Amino acid sequence: MTTTAIVVHNLTKRFPVRRRWRETIIRPFHQRWMTALDGVDLDVRQGEVLGLLGPNGAGKTTLLKILCTLLLPTGGRAAVNGHDVVEAPRRARRAVGYCLDTERSFYYRLTGMQNLAFFATLNNLGSREATTRIAEVLGMVGLNGDAGDPFMTYSKGMQQKLGLGRALLTDPGVLLLDEPTKSLDPGAAIEFRRFLRTTLAERLGKTILLVTHSLEEARECCDRVAIMDQGRISFQGTWPEVQGFIHTHGFPGHSPDGVL
Amino acid sequence: MKKPLAFLKRDLLIEVSYRFSFVFQVVSIILSIASYYFLARFIGSSLIPGLDAYGGDYFAFVLIGVALYDYLATSLDAFSRSIRESQLAGTMEALLSTQTSLSTVILSSSAYPFLWTSFGVVLYLVLGVGLFGVQLTSGNWAAAALILILAVIVFSGLGILSASFIMVFKRGSPIAWLFGGVSWLLGGVLYPVTVLPEWLQQVSALLPITYAIEGMRAALLRAAPWPELWGSLGPLLLFAFAIIPLSLLSFQYATRHTRIAGTLAQY
Repeated sequence: MTTTAIVVHNLTKRFPVRRRWRETIIRPFHQRWMTALDGVDLDVRQGEVLGLLGPNGAGKTTLLKILCTLLLPTGGRAAVNGHDVVEAPRRARRAVGYCLDTERSFYYRLTGMQNLAFFATLNNLGSREATTRIAEVLGMVGLNGDAGDPFMTYSKGMQQKLGLGRALLTDPGVLLLDEPTKSLDPGAAIEFRRFLRTTLAERLGKTILLVTHSLEEARECCDRVAIMDQGRISFQGTWPEVQGFIHTHGFPGHSPDGVL
Repeated sequence: MKKPLAFLKRDLLIEVSYRFSFVFQVVSIILSIASYYFLARFIGSSLIPGLDAYGGDYFAFVLIGVALYDYLATSLDAFSRSIRESQLAGTMEALLSTQTSLSTVILSSSAYPFLWTSFGVVLYLVLGVGLFGVQLTSGNWAAAALILILAVIVFSGLGILSASFIMVFKRGSPIAWLFGGVSWLLGGVLYPVTVLPEWLQQVSALLPITYAIEGMRAALLRAAPWPELWGSLGPLLLFAFAIIPLSLLSFQYATRHTRIAGTLAQY
């Protein structure tokens, strides 16, 4: 039986808009809001790779940040492996590995190994377990020989691999990946996609929510793709279905011509 | 204790990787002690009214004042700096997507600054006693330890309160400005509070550092007995009961506010 790993129901998120000085003085108690998510409904099945496509500012990263409890939603519900992100944030966090913009999320002067050991402790891994797990993930992402080098000497591709290694430290069932191939060269991006599809999804059975701007990546890696626009899911389906949608309606903000 | 130790190790590794800066920090401590010593020799003890009550040695007097002020400055700075540095470096979201709460992250991040301050204070005392002849051997050390613990708890409460402001407003904490600057001026760090005008003495009575310094000097320089020290311990306990819940509540509010506004990692 297929169960649902990520459930998002009628999720909304509004951010307060930063006011200008003049507005703050004239109307000090008036707050304007910007809607980032507007009633999002989304289910991701266990072991499924779901791609999130959409223009900048569509709400993709906001959705990921709510799922890993960095942000509180304004309304609606989101749960990971049955754990509500508002009511049981610790359990929800335990279920996910979040791979965010990695370039600035590590300590530059520590080695890759020291960085992973630090984050392993923060993820409640015992020292023996951490040592074993760090060796495993370093092997998995192909950084075994570079683990003793300072993070500041890493190339973008290596930084990205270490970020993925960190997300895998606790062996979570669900991975949230925010544009993981953004700064990789084409060769490294192809290698990364292959790893994502064959190792993470097919061999390890991870549920993956992948935010991407690459149609090629969505086609190669994802079982289903959802298109987000202005805080809403405007379409979701298999790649051929999404392709048909884009042919007919165009990619959000663009005409149908020349997208695919 | 594993998590504070992990933060301590992280900060120590980063600090020692800046080798030149690390050496200079140690040298700075030695230079500041020497400057207080020569200042004490220059102005002499007889010129300061009320110094007899502290054993008559200005160097020992100022050493204790500066040591406690260092703890206050560290407390006011460490918590908010850990937030600010994580925001600036970009590691804040990575830290908070782990299975560690924000409060543990902030408290653990202060482990290294407190350890460094304690190292500085121990160096003050060792050099003060060993090189400059300060007499501390007959002090009431148990009381001094209790005063130090209470002072660090109260100062940390102020530091957490200050960090709450930094969480929401990113820069400019009125708590750090108010307690940092005013405590240096009115807390009795470099001179006894009794030299201040009457109305300023009343203001200094509202500052936790006044009682911490007064109690510490009485315990170490005069070996004051416990009943006499209640005049310092009592107010410090009251400050702790008032400031700690207030600081924890404000921090909780600030955390929730930033998670709603989405400004946790912004700077």
